[in-house]
Amino acid sequence: MSETRAEDPTRRNLPEELRNEYTVVGGEWQELPDAVDDDLMVINMGPQHPSTHGVLRLILTLDGETVLHTEPVIGYLHTGIEKSTEYRPWVQGVTFVTRMDYLSPLFNELGYCLAVEKLLGIEDDVPERAQALRVITSELVRIGSHLVWLATSGMELGAVSVMLYGFREREAVLDLLELVTGLRMNHAYFRPGGVSMDVPDDFDGRVRKLLVDMPKRIDEFERLLTENPIWGERNKGIGVLTAEQCLDYGATGPILRSAGIAHDLRKVAPYCGIEQYDFDVITTDTGDAYGRFLVRMGEMRESLRIIEQALDRLPGGPIMVADRKIAMPSTLGLGPDGIGNTMEYVNKIMGQSMEALIHHFKLVTEGFTVPEGTVYTAVESPRGELGYHVTSSGTNKPYRVRVRDPSFIHIGTIPAITRGLLIADVIAAVASLDPVMGGVDR
Amino acid sequence: MTDPNSTRKGADSASTRPTGAGPERSTPDMHGGEEARMRDHDVEVSVQLTDQLRALRDHLVDAFDDLEVVGFRGELTLLARPDRIFELLSFCRDDPDVRCELLADLTGVHWPGGKRVENQQETTGWPNYEYGQEIGRIEANYVLYSLTHNHRFRITVQLPDAEPVIASATPLYASADFMEREMYDFFGVHFDGHPNLKRLHMPDDWNGHPLRKDYPLGGVDVQYKGATVPPPDRRHY
Repeated sequence: MSETRAEDPTRRNLPEELRNEYTVVGGEWQELPDAVDDDLMVINMGPQHPSTHGVLRLILTLDGETVLHTEPVIGYLHTGIEKSTEYRPWVQGVTFVTRMDYLSPLFNELGYCLAVEKLLGIEDDVPERAQALRVITSELVRIGSHLVWLATSGMELGAVSVMLYGFREREAVLDLLELVTGLRMNHAYFRPGGVSMDVPDDFDGRVRKLLVDMPKRIDEFERLLTENPIWGERNKGIGVLTAEQCLDYGATGPILRSAGIAHDLRKVAPYCGIEQYDFDVITTDTGDAYGRFLVRMGEMRESLRIIEQALDRLPGGPIMVADRKIAMPSTLGLGPDGIGNTMEYVNKIMGQSMEALIHHFKLVTEGFTVPEGTVYTAVESPRGELGYHVTSSGTNKPYRVRVRDPSFIHIGTIPAITRGLLIADVIAAVASLDPVMGGVDR
Repeated sequence: MTDPNSTRKGADSASTRPTGAGPERSTPDMHGGEEARMRDHDVEVSVQLTDQLRALRDHLVDAFDDLEVVGFRGELTLLARPDRIFELLSFCRDDPDVRCELLADLTGVHWPGGKRVENQQETTGWPNYEYGQEIGRIEANYVLYSLTHNHRFRITVQLPDAEPVIASATPLYASADFMEREMYDFFGVHFDGHPNLKRLHMPDDWNGHPLRKDYPLGGVDVQYKGATVPPPDRRHY
């Protein structure tokens, strides 16, 4: 693979002066256009651009309309979430990480909670109902995330109707998540040890309605796009990454699967009991933007299959570990002003039990302590391998939370997939990666 | 790997360190040099690791006898010497029994020098937790993953935080490019041989490396209904 690397076209075929120039920030911008040949042109795209999926900035070196080199510039959405988690108790970390990749918030929470549970050594104690609810809700998020990808990609390629339909169908998913968690995004629903509250009674019926409706919608999308000649022209052969390149660049998820490698962490390193459900890993062998489209459409159907099976077998029982030193003692309920402590619980701690009040106070202000050590957990997010590399120093706060966000890794492939494309196709190529800048910059 | 001594900024920073991660302390000393050994090799590791990881551990230790092995919660961690990291990563990528196609993650953890006591539990009388080592160090964690064999393990390298230098993995894995730039940005680790080691997230003219522990979180007091809430790094709980 090192030979491939040495001949990496993104580096080798550049003008000599540009080979070592990637980042152009601030004052260096002026030097770059001066440095290139008169025949070449340097164009700045973004960070505010309707087709860059957020605040992604691309510096394109063009020969006519052909892209010689693309340099992604990131960091415009950097909020220091990894640093912030080091100053808050373990439970509060959930509310931070859920804001990273804002299109798949529950996967962030899932990865973080699995890491904390692994550090605590309580993976096997998490109740089955909590595991199944995690699977159902996170697969719902996968459908919602792919729909946003479809909608925004369609819009960027000029298919506005796809944008409208995509966001409309996503509302159905968001309504379900709102029903369960109280929020449309940034749910903070998973907690180390389980989930924060049980699902309402009408959850089952409403998810089953989605299971009936959504396949029809996906059929509609496929009728609209799969054989559509314009959609094919814009996507086929665009943004190609071979399987070898994918591995070299660390690309996972739909990108790797579109290159023909059936790698899915839900199969090879299952979490939350997802191995007991029957589903297929969708692959194509084209490795281009069109292949990624087919993979994502197929994945939505597979997610529906998983949800249906999980719903059929949804066990009863608790939704949180039994250890009251970890589980929040409060019982949450939906009141007229949103989700909060139920009145029975408030009456109990305020009026009846001093010890319960002390316990509640200590857990809320101070949290639990986690044994020393480092773990790495990975979940298959809609974009690929979402890894949480969490270090504890034995205190009530994380010592270090590192997030291996797939979008961040995939941004690194942009020079490779855009080289030699026409400038209009850069949009399609970048869109096919489905980068979410909140996750890239963290 | 270049000699860390050659690029030291001055003697001042070395003399102020309690135990002196000074120029005379070369990096291998941080592992105990020749005394590097298997920590609890037969007990801890064998209990927690799967058969597959145990075989992998034996295979790697056969090839690199200076590796130190740590197992935790079923994860295999190999403590390697910084000057052999490139060799080790090449082996892990190319050896048919290891065959790690994916450099899944590369990240750092900063352990500041000296004895640092975090006085965080004063409302409760819970014990204080000491963290901080004799020598300030930065751990570089490489997470390698093999699709062929479906195994995942971590290679940890410890670098002195005063002058962290390590060979770049970019000739082996293209994915190391962004991750090394991120680590340079956040921890100040210099990757020798990286084609374009510049800041990634922070602006180019930023001072300091934000994820080091001696870099403050920052923040201002917040007033709410007359009460004042200190910023998170000055709260005592």
